[in-house]
Amino acid sequence: MSEDQYPEITISPEAIKQAVSTRMNARLKMWTRICAHCGLCADSCHFYLAKNKDPRMVPSFKAQKLKELVRKKGRVDENYLQSLYDIAFGDCTVCRRCTMYCPFGIDMAVMVSTIRSILTSQGVAPKGLQDAIKNYQESGNQMAISEEDWVETLQWMEEELQDELPGATIPIDKKGARIMYTVNAREPKFYPQDIQLAAKLFHVVGEDWTLPSKMGWDDTNLAMFAGDAKTAGHIVQLIYDRAVELDVQYVAITECGHAFRSVAFEGPVWLGKDYPFKVVHSVELFAQYIREGRLEFDRKITEPITYQDPCNVSRNGGLADTARYIIKHIAEDFREMEPHGNHNFCCSGGGGAIPMGPPFKRRRMEAGKVKADQIKATGAKIVICPCHNCYDQVNDLNKEYNLGIKVKSFKEIFEEIMHIPEELKAQEEEDLGEGK
Amino acid sequence: MPTVEFKGKTFNVDEDGFIDDFNGWSREWVDYVKESEGISELTEEHWKVIDILQDYYKKNGIAPMVRILSKVTGFKLKYIYELFPSGPGKGACKMAGLPKPTGCV
Repeated sequence: MSEDQYPEITISPEAIKQAVSTRMNARLKMWTRICAHCGLCADSCHFYLAKNKDPRMVPSFKAQKLKELVRKKGRVDENYLQSLYDIAFGDCTVCRRCTMYCPFGIDMAVMVSTIRSILTSQGVAPKGLQDAIKNYQESGNQMAISEEDWVETLQWMEEELQDELPGATIPIDKKGARIMYTVNAREPKFYPQDIQLAAKLFHVVGEDWTLPSKMGWDDTNLAMFAGDAKTAGHIVQLIYDRAVELDVQYVAITECGHAFRSVAFEGPVWLGKDYPFKVVHSVELFAQYIREGRLEFDRKITEPITYQDPCNVSRNGGLADTARYIIKHIAEDFREMEPHGNHNFCCSGGGGAIPMGPPFKRRRMEAGKVKADQIKATGAKIVICPCHNCYDQVNDLNKEYNLGIKVKSFKEIFEEIMHIPEELKAQEEEDLGEGK
Repeated sequence: MPTVEFKGKTFNVDEDGFIDDFNGWSREWVDYVKESEGISELTEEHWKVIDILQDYYKKNGIAPMVRILSKVTGFKLKYIYELFPSGPGKGACKMAGLPKPTGCV
C-alpha cells in the first residue's frame, strides 16, 4: 500500500452511482459535453508547466474524469478510485486559473471539486482533511481547540500586548461591535502573535471589534476542499449564528484565502440564505484604514518586495487592486511577479494541499517550481502573502529552492512600520507591569 | 518511506521530515533535526519544551497549544519562537517526534 493511499474502504457501486447522479446538475452535465479538448487550458496550469507538459496534467483531462465517472455508473474498482484520488487531490489545487482561459467558460475547478466530493462521500479523502472535518464537527474548529483554551489564549495575548500598548484590549463577545473578527485555528494553536498583531492594529486605528467566545471564531473551511458540503455549511452556520447574536455589521476574515471564499461566496449557497451582515477580508479592511487616514506609516520598507496574489483573495476574491493600494503605501521597491493579479499562478499549497498532510508535500514542492521561478525572477527579498497556505508554501519553497527571501503577512509588515501615536505607548519603565 | 541513519539509529521519515512513529523517537533524532530547524546549540530549555510536548502528546494524542507550553514552561511566546525558530507547531513537534499537526500548518 503506498503511503498516500486513502484509508481502506468498501466499494459500493450503487452508492457511488447515487453520489454521482445527485451531484450532476445541468451546468456540470453541460460542461462534460461541451469541452472541445482544444487544449487552451494546458499552459494555464502550474502542474502542467512544472511537470514538463505532461498531457495528464492538462486541466481538461483532469476535469473530464467526471464524465468518465458518470459513464461508469458506479462500476469502478479500487485502482480506479486511487487514480481519481491522485488526480482530484494530488494534481489540482482548484485554483481556477484554467477557467480564465477556457473559451467555453468551463469551470474545471468546480468539476474537480465535484470529483473530490464524490470521493469524500465514499470515505476516499486524504486523512489530513478527514481529521480536520472530524474536529470541525466536534469542536467547531479544525484543530479541536476547546472554548476554554481559546478564551484563555485571547486573554494571554491581551495581557502581553498591554505591556506595549497599555490601553489595548481583545474584546470578547462585545454586542453591537462594528466587526466580528474571525481567525484561522492555527493562530490560537501555534501563532497567537497573529491575533495580537490584529489587536494592536485595531487599537491603533480605533476599530470597534470583537471576537466570539463560542464556536464560530474559526473561519477556515477544510471541509470545502474535501467537497463535504454538509460540514462546510455547518462551519459557516456557526459564524453566521455568532455574527447575528453579536449583532455586528461585518464579519472580518483573517489573512486567509480560502476562509474568505468559503464565508463570503460559498457560504450563502450552502446555507441557502443571504446574510444580515457583510463579509470583509483583512486586505479590504487594511486598505480602508489607509484610505481613511487611520493607518499611517513612519517609513516604507526599502528591501525589494513582491506580492503573492492568493487565488482566493485575488482571482476568486476580487482584491488584486486593493492589495496593491496597500503596497503603494508600504513598499519603496515593489516588483510584480509575471503574470500577477487575477492571472497569478497558484503557489501549489492551495486547495487544501498543505492540510492534506505529509503525503502531499513532494507534489506541492514539484508543482511549486513555477511559483519559485516567478519569485526568483523578481529579485525580491520579501514576499507578502495575505493567506496562511500561501505563507507556509512560499516558506517551504524558500527552503526547497534556496530563494533567500522572507515571507510576511501584511500585519507583520505593519508591525515594523506602522505609526503608533505616542499617547498609546507604554510611557515609563515602571509602568510596564500595570497591564497585568 | 525514506529512512535516515544517524549515530547508529535509523528513523523512518515522511515527506515533511517528521518521523513516522513516536515510539521510534530517540535523543539522536533531536540532534539530527536541530540544524535544519535553525538551532545550533541545544540547551536545557529546548529539552524542557520537548519533554512537555511529549508528555502532553502521550496523554492527549495531539500537540498542545502554545499557550499550554508557555504556561507550563513559564516562557513568553517570543522566547518559545527564539528557541524554535520554525515554531512550536512545526520545529518543536518535529524534534519531539510528534506527527505533523492536523490542519493549516
